[in-house]
Amino acid sequence: MSRIEAKKPSLCTNDPLTKERVSFSLSVLSGIVKSCYGPTGRLKQLHNGMGGYVRTTSQSSALLGGLSITHPALKVLTASVQNHISRFSDCGLFTAILCCSLVEHFQRINFAACTVTKISRHLLSLCTDYLKSEACGCRVSVDFDSIKTLLSLVRSILASKPACMLNKTEANHLSTLVLKAFLLTIPHTIETNVVLGKCVIIPVKGKRVMDSTVFPGLLIDIPEFQFARTFPVKRVSSSAIKMALFCISMSGDLSNIGEGTVIVHHGISLEVAVLDQLLNLGKQLVNDQVGLVVCQKVIHPSLKQYLKEHCVITIDRVGVSMMEPLSQMTGSQPIAALHSVSPTCYGSLKDLRTESFVSKHFLHLVPNDTLVCSLILCNRNEMAWDELKLACQTAEHVLQLTIKQPLALLGGGCTETHLASYIRHKSFTLPTSVLKAIDCSRTQYQLVADAFCRSLECVACCLEHDDGEILTDMVYGHFWSVQSGFPSDCNWSDLVLKCGCGIYNNQRNLNWTVLRSQYIPFAPQSCSNEPSINSTDHLVLDCFTAKCSGLQVAVETANLILDLSYIVEDQN
Amino acid sequence: MASQRLRTQRRAVSMASAASLDLGRLVQEAEALASVLVTRPTGETLLTRDGRRVLEALNLGPPTARMIVACVSSHHNMTGDGAKTFIILLSKLLRGLQAILDKREGSPFCEAIQRSKRDQKHCHSLKQISQSLMTFQTHILDHIMAQDLRKHFLSAFSSWEGEISRDTMESILEAYFCGRIGNSHQKLLSQLSCDFYYRCIPFKNGKNEMLDLVNEYFVELHSAVTGLPVSNSRILEGLVLHRDFAVYCPADGDIRMLILTESIDSALAPPGLEFVVNAEVQYQASQVWITKRTEAMMKHLQNNNIKVLLSSVKQQEIVIYYAKISGISIVECLSSEEISLLCRTTGISPFIPTQDNIRSEISETMIAKFCRPLVLGSKRYVHLGLTRTCAFEPHCVIFCGPVHGITEQHASAFHGAFKMLQQLFKAVDLSDGCEAQPENTNNTSKTVHCNSSSWVDENPSCNQTELQKSSDLAKPLVKLESDFMFSALIDRGSSVRELQKPPLKCKHPSEMWVMNNSEPAVNNHRICNDAMTAIENTSTSVVSKQLDAAQEYWKPGNPIVPFKFEKSYKHTVQSYTNLVIQAGSVLPVGGNFEILLHYYLHSYAKQCQQPKITVISTVIADALLSIPKILYRTTKENSFTQVCFKATSALQTNQQLPMHQQGLESVYCKYQLVASVLHCLTKLLTIDLIIGIKRPPQKTEVNDSEEDL
Repeated sequence: MSRIEAKKPSLCTNDPLTKERVSFSLSVLSGIVKSCYGPTGRLKQLHNGMGGYVRTTSQSSALLGGLSITHPALKVLTASVQNHISRFSDCGLFTAILCCSLVEHFQRINFAACTVTKISRHLLSLCTDYLKSEACGCRVSVDFDSIKTLLSLVRSILASKPACMLNKTEANHLSTLVLKAFLLTIPHTIETNVVLGKCVIIPVKGKRVMDSTVFPGLLIDIPEFQFARTFPVKRVSSSAIKMALFCISMSGDLSNIGEGTVIVHHGISLEVAVLDQLLNLGKQLVNDQVGLVVCQKVIHPSLKQYLKEHCVITIDRVGVSMMEPLSQMTGSQPIAALHSVSPTCYGSLKDLRTESFVSKHFLHLVPNDTLVCSLILCNRNEMAWDELKLACQTAEHVLQLTIKQPLALLGGGCTETHLASYIRHKSFTLPTSVLKAIDCSRTQYQLVADAFCRSLECVACCLEHDDGEILTDMVYGHFWSVQSGFPSDCNWSDLVLKCGCGIYNNQRNLNWTVLRSQYIPFAPQSCSNEPSINSTDHLVLDCFTAKCSGLQVAVETANLILDLSYIVEDQN
Repeated sequence: MASQRLRTQRRAVSMASAASLDLGRLVQEAEALASVLVTRPTGETLLTRDGRRVLEALNLGPPTARMIVACVSSHHNMTGDGAKTFIILLSKLLRGLQAILDKREGSPFCEAIQRSKRDQKHCHSLKQISQSLMTFQTHILDHIMAQDLRKHFLSAFSSWEGEISRDTMESILEAYFCGRIGNSHQKLLSQLSCDFYYRCIPFKNGKNEMLDLVNEYFVELHSAVTGLPVSNSRILEGLVLHRDFAVYCPADGDIRMLILTESIDSALAPPGLEFVVNAEVQYQASQVWITKRTEAMMKHLQNNNIKVLLSSVKQQEIVIYYAKISGISIVECLSSEEISLLCRTTGISPFIPTQDNIRSEISETMIAKFCRPLVLGSKRYVHLGLTRTCAFEPHCVIFCGPVHGITEQHASAFHGAFKMLQQLFKAVDLSDGCEAQPENTNNTSKTVHCNSSSWVDENPSCNQTELQKSSDLAKPLVKLESDFMFSALIDRGSSVRELQKPPLKCKHPSEMWVMNNSEPAVNNHRICNDAMTAIENTSTSVVSKQLDAAQEYWKPGNPIVPFKFEKSYKHTVQSYTNLVIQAGSVLPVGGNFEILLHYYLHSYAKQCQQPKITVISTVIADALLSIPKILYRTTKENSFTQVCFKATSALQTNQQLPMHQQGLESVYCKYQLVASVLHCLTKLLTIDLIIGIKRPPQKTEVNDSEEDL
């Protein structure tokens, strides 16, 4: 008999945000994410205290995945950041920091949750409308004709991950490789439905980062003894090798028997019958001048031997994940029949080579139309390699998002400060009709707007970890940082060099002020007609799609958390 | 039997009040109309303002509390709304009754039984209260609704063909979402659901069929994407199948599709059959034959210009291979609900791949405008643009949100809104004669309502000797009614009114018994009813002209028509139809229904001759006021007392009620709510003992309804 346990009643908490426990956990969480942000961010070591694997990271996806959060309200926060990361890969820390500081700042002004929600939704719509409008002063359009902006985008992503341990030349080298790999996955002929190819990352640990390289086509790992016995491939012509791709088992097992019974008379071997079929298939493949046979599953040794005798190379057990790139790259269709194979299913390769790295040996499948490429990624140690791989995947994803929406936002804190000064200006000049529609007073609106702008600026401030001073200019509303230890009687203009994103140098009198001080709201000027956008090599750029969505998700999540008035915890 | 242990005997009312104290948190929450974060044992979190979800998550211990939760859930399942109001109303009613019982002296429920022992006395008075409640619910409530409240109802329809204007629809939906998701995304969701309604409805008469379909297949008609802002939620044309293509071959133009429920490839030895291998060659030949057969089948499909196969089972690799060669896309492992939705919307049946039909033409196909992959979040789905063949223009909703909790909240609120709309288009019949007969206790068994029928069986009259006879006699009648009731509940599609007509005739024999002294009159009345309900539809066209005039009078540009101004309609129609609530009846939100019902109940109580009914009516009337009291608790301009005063003085001078808010709500839902609460209360009061047993009880009714949660 099954034992029935009485269900425990659930635990109810009212006004959860006023409790000590949540504000403490929130400040710990926000401390963690804030200290990780940016190129000079501090690294975190995640370990389980029981001798497990130690991960050194500063990336949100690894960090939030590793943290175990118990408080339900914070679980909502981390879950929404993680969901954001799974959609966009980038701007996870931005979302997390913004969300934390919004919650903190909004709590401080202590209005009814619905008022804050209404006003912050309006502020958010101001932001998104501005970012999406042509007049937006903190975005640049990405020109796919020159690789300069694309390269800046990739470099900004790699540079903001300090746990990768890259120096400047290494970062440049890798950025070029990632961009090259991405460009290889774009099909040559553009139809209505563009399907991007795939970039396969192959780990080689213990080599220098500078040894990393990109190959068009696929590299398939093969054991050393097979590597030693490679032989001239059977070619149809000098630049074409016929290839057959199988997605069923060729091991000679009995397939598709059904659920009924099969009665086999004495002396009859079904295995022999199947092997017979396999060898017939081999004969057909040889007759059809196939030079390479790839199988997702296992190939029977007899068939392998037969094919080898006829100078056909066999690769088996490539796994299901390789099937799509293989068929995409070679144009071959996965074959699921062991007899009467249609010749239309065969694909073709340009060349077949062998490559070796350190102790690894690869068969290099060179395609006619690339679409698929292999990025050999090297880094000195395991931990840094993991971090680097994540960064490269993020960069690839960002490039894919950028091709859909060819825009980028200014990085290095400039977007945040620019947006904050834009919102300050807007909220100062808001018509009364809008206030009436939101049903709030002007003071209420301005207090919430101020908290909103402070939260945005707070994200920018998190870029500075070394006690430096953060300034903003009163013309463009950009982000400028000054290293610590400056003499107190100095003029700001003597200290600043370049703004955060790198568009502006210290050349004009830009009227600097300390970021978090009170200043008169002004309408920030746009950078879009600045000649330096295309001339400057080292711009810091952020993914437009990811940051826009991150901004919205952060505000929505903060509203959600502030709106909580009860928590019902199931204790079972 | 030995394992059964008698625990304690407690008085039902105090017990139920205690249970309602347990629900106190929910009452607080309901009053605050705030959002609640619920964590599940699995660790996932859920954000909700839905009273039912919160109640269920509380895992309440006391059996009465669990019964209340079960009642709330079943009410909510039906109407999609009102869980919080249910609890508030119930707790107020329980407190009111407790106060009466505590007072004892002067209470009509305590006089008759002076000589009995105390406990029995108490039990007896509870019994009487519950009977009076029953009487109230079956006679007086409908009576008051039909006589008094009806004139205040507005119609959601802008014309008598049952069309509903967009503005009205929006204000109904907005009011609904206000209580369910809070003001942050209320506008967005009401726009979304309004859009969905108008895009799915192909012609104006198909709304009931469309709503049934949407409610039944809501799981298949929506998808959720996490990690995106809520503003990305949208409506897509066509259907989204929650699977990826096994094979995708792009196709243009009209795409012919088939539904499959079995594998195309046949096995060597299908279940139940034997395959005897005599020689190796024979085995090889049969393998070849099977492959050839599959190939031929796929060729046949290709020749019939089939472009897509939608399969509920997984197809063999060989089928996938030949499909790719023949340029046929395959979607496999579709759920049975998805298959049945496809069959419902297109009206075709699954294709059976046999040797016989390989030569014949394939007729059971559907046409799609497009069939392409769709990436939602990280998942790849199939997006089908079906052409309509029934009263549902295929569309689906995508809910976006930063976390799963949000998308789930929005999806369930959206589903609830469509349940509410389904209720909006229902009408209520006055089943009995218009005369209230509170003293005739026999009548308690006669309940023809659209409420949960199972409660009728628990009629409290059974253990009373003077009623023994009557209950025996009434049994078949009760049975009949409850069966019929049940079918009315199950058959969500048809309007209650239509279903209720035939049983009215069936009742005649017992009717004669019940009202033996007024038999001819009743019969006449019945016949008249039947005849006139039939006429009603025709008479509406006559009325519409006057309504047009009334419409202008009411509010220029406002499509809402008050029934009040259908003077002639009221006189001609209401005198012979038994409609308590017409389909599409609405009232402005903000406690209008409660204030109206309160007002009329009070005036009824004043002139009522029976002391028990007077007391009950007063208790109910007072409890109803608690809802507007909570609604106007926080607003600055309209305090509760002001609103109530204004409304009462308006009613006394026969003016229109002042409107404070824009939204509208379905009268049917409100009516249903009051009826459900009264039922739940009656049920609670009839329990006199709670027995603790050690082994799990055999499935009883309460357990069943808990399972449904």
